[in-house]
Amino acid sequence: MRKNETIEKFGGTERRLTRRTALKTGAAIAAAFAVAPALGARAAQDAGTPAADAETWGQYKDKGIQINFLSEDTPPTAAMINHVGEFEELTGITVNITQTGLADVVTKVLLDFASQAGDIDVIYADPMQIMAPLYGNFTDLRTFIDDPTLPALPNGLDDFDKMNLIGSGYMIDREKLLAIPYDAPTMLLAYRTDIFENATYKDLFQQEKGYDWTPGPNITWEQYREIAEWINGKVADGTIAEKVAGTGHQAKQYDSLMCDFSNVMLAEGGNYFDNPDYATWGTATPGGCALGSPEALAAAKLYDSILKQAAPGSLSWDWNGLAEAFSAGGIAMAPEWHEYASMFEDENLSTVAGHVKWALLPKGPNGTKNLWGGTGLAVNSYGTEERQRAAWLFINWATSPETQKKLLLEGSTPTRTSVYQDAEVQQWIADNKDPLVAVLPTVLDAWKPENIGLAQGKIVTWVQVDEAIFTDLSKMLTGSKTPEQAMTDAVSTIDKINNWPPAGA
Amino acid sequence: MSTPVQTPTQQLQVVTAQPKRIPILGRLSPEGWMVLPTVLVLLAVSIYPFLYMIRMSFFEYSPLPQVPSKFVGLGNWVQMLQDQAIWASWLTTAWYFGAALTLQLVLGVAIALLIEHTPYFRDALATILLSPMFVAPVLVGLLWRFLLHDSYGVYTYFLHEIGLLNNVSILGDPRTAMPAVVLMDTWEWTPLVVIVVLSGLRALPHDVLEASVVDGSSYWQQVRYITLPMLRPVILVAALIRSMDLLRYIDHLMVTTAGGPADSTKIIGIRIFEEAFRFFRLGYASALGLAMIVVTIFLGRLFVNVLGEEQGAPGA
Repeated sequence: MRKNETIEKFGGTERRLTRRTALKTGAAIAAAFAVAPALGARAAQDAGTPAADAETWGQYKDKGIQINFLSEDTPPTAAMINHVGEFEELTGITVNITQTGLADVVTKVLLDFASQAGDIDVIYADPMQIMAPLYGNFTDLRTFIDDPTLPALPNGLDDFDKMNLIGSGYMIDREKLLAIPYDAPTMLLAYRTDIFENATYKDLFQQEKGYDWTPGPNITWEQYREIAEWINGKVADGTIAEKVAGTGHQAKQYDSLMCDFSNVMLAEGGNYFDNPDYATWGTATPGGCALGSPEALAAAKLYDSILKQAAPGSLSWDWNGLAEAFSAGGIAMAPEWHEYASMFEDENLSTVAGHVKWALLPKGPNGTKNLWGGTGLAVNSYGTEERQRAAWLFINWATSPETQKKLLLEGSTPTRTSVYQDAEVQQWIADNKDPLVAVLPTVLDAWKPENIGLAQGKIVTWVQVDEAIFTDLSKMLTGSKTPEQAMTDAVSTIDKINNWPPAGA
Repeated sequence: MSTPVQTPTQQLQVVTAQPKRIPILGRLSPEGWMVLPTVLVLLAVSIYPFLYMIRMSFFEYSPLPQVPSKFVGLGNWVQMLQDQAIWASWLTTAWYFGAALTLQLVLGVAIALLIEHTPYFRDALATILLSPMFVAPVLVGLLWRFLLHDSYGVYTYFLHEIGLLNNVSILGDPRTAMPAVVLMDTWEWTPLVVIVVLSGLRALPHDVLEASVVDGSSYWQQVRYITLPMLRPVILVAALIRSMDLLRYIDHLMVTTAGGPADSTKIIGIRIFEEAFRFFRLGYASALGLAMIVVTIFLGRLFVNVLGEEQGAPGA
C-alpha cells in the first residue's frame, strides 16, 4: 500500500547515508560534545518520572490554575478520569475533563478557535476531523519539549510508535509537532469462539468448502463473505443452533461506513487519493480522487456483496451499534475497533463475554489492511502562556509511560513502545488473562507497516470528502446506485470539493 | 397675571438651552421605557445575529482568525439554487413535514376529543399522555434508537414476532427510515396539539353544543359540523407552531439516522447543520438558513392568513 510504503520510506531515508547526512551527523557530534554537560542534565530528566523532576512538575502548585480537557468519549479518557487526581496532586493544576461525541468536540473546538477564547486548553485532536481543517490553531509542542523549565518528555519522541506519531502528531509541516499520540483504535476482526471453534461447525464447513474457516488474514474477503453466507444458511436450516447472522458491519450512513469500507478497499489495493502523504503527514494537495480505479471499483462490488450477507441492522449501525449487536450475541464475526474488547468482555454489557477472539482482518490482493484511527492531544494556541504550559504538563503526564501502563488495564492502548517492552506488561500479555491485554499482540501486529490501513485523509476538506464517500456508499448498499455509479459519483463530488483538476490544468 | 411674550430670538434660546435628546427616546412613554431593555436585549441576541447572518451569506465566510473571509456576492445563493443535493433535501423535508404535520394534527384532535369525553381521571390521563412532550428531543432519539435496534429493540422484536419487517433494518432501510422518524416526532409532539385543542374544546360555548343535542344531532354530527369548525382557529395555531418546529428540530434524526440511509431522512435542517458545523462553510449555511427562514415565514403567513379569513379579517 502506498501509505505504508511512505512510512517505510521515511525509515529508509534515515538509514541512507548521503553527503548531507554525513555533514549533519558530524556537526551534530561536535555540537554534542560542546553541550555535553547540558545534555547530561537533560538525560537525568529523561528518566521521565515526576519524582526525578519534582520541581518542574510542581512549578504551578498553589497558583490555582484550572485547565479544560475536551475529549471524545473514548476508553482512555474514561480511564483518565479515575487517575487525573494523581496529576492534580503532583502539579496543583486542576483538570476539568469533558467527554462528548466527536462531532460535538469538533464544533466546540471550532467555536473556541473562532472566538479565540482559549477556553479548551487540551484538545482531543482527531487528525482528520480536527487537526486537518484547524491545524493553524494549535501550538507547536516542540516549544515545550525544548523548554528546560518544563519536565522533559520521558524517553523522548522516539518512544512513540512511529506510525502513531506521524498520524496523530503532524499536519503537512514535518517540523511542527501538533499533538502527542494518545489513543490508537485499530480495526480488527472480532469473532465468536463458541461458533468458530465449535468442532462440529468447523469440520462441517471444512468438509463442504474445503478450507479452514478460522477468521484472520489467512482468509480472503471473498472467503469471509462465503463464511458469512454459509453461517446464515446453517442458522436458517437449524444446523447452527445459535441465532446469529454470519457477519455484522458498521454501515450506517456515517463516518463508520467509510472506515468499514476502507478495510476492504485497501486490501484490494485501492485508495481515496494517489498522493501518498494524504493519510500520513497530511497534505494541502491530495490530487484527484482515486476511487475510479479498477481496484476501488472491485472493492466496492465486493463490499456490496459482503453487506448482502451481513445482519440487516448493519445499515443502521455505526461502531457503537455494531458493538451493541455483537455484545447482544446476534453476530458471529465483525470488523470492529479493537477498543470495544472491554465492552465485549464486560459481563454486564455482553452476552458473549469469554467467547470473543480478535484477529487481523481478511486479506485481499494487497494483503490484510487494518484501519488505524488514532488521535493525539494538542494545546490550544489561544490560551494564555501559563495555561498552555499547564496544558503541556497534563499532556506530558497523560502520555507518559507510567500513565499509559496504568490506563492499559482499563481499556486504553499504549502508543509508546517502552510500555510494550515493560517486563510487567510483557508478563500480562504472556498470562493472557485480561482480555484487554490479550488483544494487544494482534493490535501490534496490525500496526506493522505491511498490515496497517491508512486511508482517512489528513486534508483540509476531509470531512466533506468523508461525507461524499459514505453517502454514495450508502446509496450503493441500499440499491439506489450500482457500485460503478457510486464510485463515479463519489469521484465527481470529491474532485469538485477539492477543485480538481485545478483551473487551467 | 399676564404671560410675557417671548421674541423669536428668546424662543430660540430656550430651545437651544434644552439638553440634546435622541428624538425617539424623547417621545417614549413610560411603558416604552419599560419595554426598552427587552428590545435592547432582543437586538443584541436576535436581530444583530440575524443581520450578521445576512452579511455572512454574501461571503465565503471563515470563522477562523487566520483565514480571511472572501466576498462572493450572490455566489452562495446561486450555488444554493443550483445544488441538486439541496433540492433533494427540500423534497425530503416536504415529505417529512407533510406526513408528520398531518399525522400529529389528526391524532392530536382525536386524542383531545377522547380525553374530553373520558368520564373519569381525565386530568390524570391528560398528564400521562402529555409526558412525551417533556422529554428532550435528543433523548427521544436515543430512546427510539434503543426500541428499534435490530438486535435487542423491543419494537423490532414484536414486529418480527408478528411476521413484519423480517430481514429489514427499520432505521437502515430507506423505505422504513422515514416513517420511523415521522413516528418518533409524532410520538413526542402530538401531545402539544392535544394541549392546544383541549384548551379550545374547553372554551367552546356549551349552549351551541346543547342546542345541537336538542336538535337531535348525533355525536359524530356534532363533531363534524360544530366542534371541528369551531376549533379550526385553534387547530391552525397548533399547525403553525408545529410547522415551524418541524423545520427546525433535527435532534432525534441526528441520533437515529443522521440523515441516512442513502440521504432518505436528510431534511434541510440536517443539511444546514452539516454545512455550518461539519464543513465549516458558514457563508453557504447562512444562505441555506435564510432560505429556511423565508420558507418558515411563508408557511406562517399561510396559516395566519387562513386563520385571519376564518376570523373575518383577511391577512390579519
